[in-house]
Amino acid sequence: MTVGEGPSGSSDAEVIAQVLSGDVEAFGVLITRYEGGLLRFATRMLGSRDAAADAVAEGLVRAYRHLASCRDPARFRTWVFRIVANRCKSHLARRPVGDVSLDDAPPLAAPDNTDEGVERTDQLERLERALAQLAPEKREAFVLKHLDGMSYEEMSAVTGERIPTLKMRVHRAREALLAALREPS
Amino acid sequence: MTHDFDPRIHRALDGELDRTALTPEERTLVERLDAASRALSDFPAAPGGTLTHRVMGIIRRPLQSPVERFRRWLTSPHPVTLSLRPVYSVIVAVLLVALLWRAPETPLLAKHEGVAQFVARFPEAHSVAVVGPFNDWRPEATPLSDDDHDGVWDARVILPAGPHEYMFVVDGERWVADPMAGKYVDDGFGRQNAVMEVRPVRSE
Repeated sequence: MTVGEGPSGSSDAEVIAQVLSGDVEAFGVLITRYEGGLLRFATRMLGSRDAAADAVAEGLVRAYRHLASCRDPARFRTWVFRIVANRCKSHLARRPVGDVSLDDAPPLAAPDNTDEGVERTDQLERLERALAQLAPEKREAFVLKHLDGMSYEEMSAVTGERIPTLKMRVHRAREALLAALREPS
Repeated sequence: MTHDFDPRIHRALDGELDRTALTPEERTLVERLDAASRALSDFPAAPGGTLTHRVMGIIRRPLQSPVERFRRWLTSPHPVTLSLRPVYSVIVAVLLVALLWRAPETPLLAKHEGVAQFVARFPEAHSVAVVGPFNDWRPEATPLSDDDHDGVWDARVILPAGPHEYMFVVDGERWVADPMAGKYVDDGFGRQNAVMEVRPVRSE
C-alpha cells in the first residue's frame, strides 16, 4: 500500500473527487486511512489522548468543510496534517506555557514485570518526559520525522517552515532525547 | 542537558549517509534513537471506528446558518476569559480599592459641595420633580422617585454648599412649595419658594 492509497484501492485524489461530487460517506475512507498517524502525532504533541482526539476530530471536520480548497488532492496527507498541527497549536496556546501534561499519556504498550520490561518502561517514561519538555516546534519536527516518517519536504509542507530550520529542530530534539536516555535513572 | 553529536550521526539518521560508514559507537547512538522512536510510536490504538463515527456524525449534520449560529451563541452560556498582565492587574486593583474606599463617604464631591436630599409626600402624584436655579427651573431635569409606591418621593442632588431656592412640580404642571421646608423666600411674583441650606460634606 502506498501513501495516499488505502485498503479501498482508490487514491486520495479519487476519494476526494467522490466526496466533492456529493458522496459524504466517502470521507470515512480518508479518516480510516489517516486517523492512526494523526492521533499519534496529536497525542505526542499534546501529551493527552483525549485532547488529541479532540484536535484530530476538529481538524478532520475542518478538512471536510474546506476540502474543495485542497489544491493538490494527491497531497491530502500533508494538507490534513497541517490542519491538525494547527489545531494542536491552538490547544497548546490555551494552556499555560510549557504545560504538556502526561497525566493522560497513552498507556504503555505490553507492560511486563521482567527486569527488561521494567527497564523499557522506565526508558519510555523518560523519553515521554523529555519529548514533553521540548519546545512545541521541536517536538512537532521530531514527531513528524521519526514517528510519522515524513521526509523534510513533506514536513515543510505541513509546517510551512524551511527545510534547514526543520533539520535544526530535529537535530536538537534528537540530542535532547538521547541525553534523557543517558541520564541515570 | 543536551550534547552536540557528530553531524555524521544526524546525516545517517536523515538517510544521507550509509550507516555502515559509522563507527560502532555512532551506530549504537543511531540504533538507540531508532528504538526510542519506535517506543514512542508504539501505543495501543484507540477503539476502532470511534473517531470515524464522531467525525462522520458531525459532518452528516447540515451546517447551521450564520444567523442560527449567532442565535445559539447568544443563548448558550460560554466562558469569557479576560487576561491582564500582573502589573495591569495591580493597577486595576488599586484603582478599584481607591474608588470603593471613597464611594460611601464622598461620592465624587468637590470640596465645597454637599448633598441636598429632597423629600416630599404626594400620595396621588404620578410624577414629582424638583426645580430651582440649580437646574434652571426645568421640571424634566431632576425627577424624584417613589420606588416602593408609598407616596413619598425623594431625590439626592449634589449642589454647591449654601442656600438653594426650590419648588416641587407635581404631575408636570402643579408647582408646590415644600411644606416641610424650614425657610421660604418671596419669588417676586406673589408666591414663595422653599429654601434649603446645603452644608459641605467635607468641612475644613
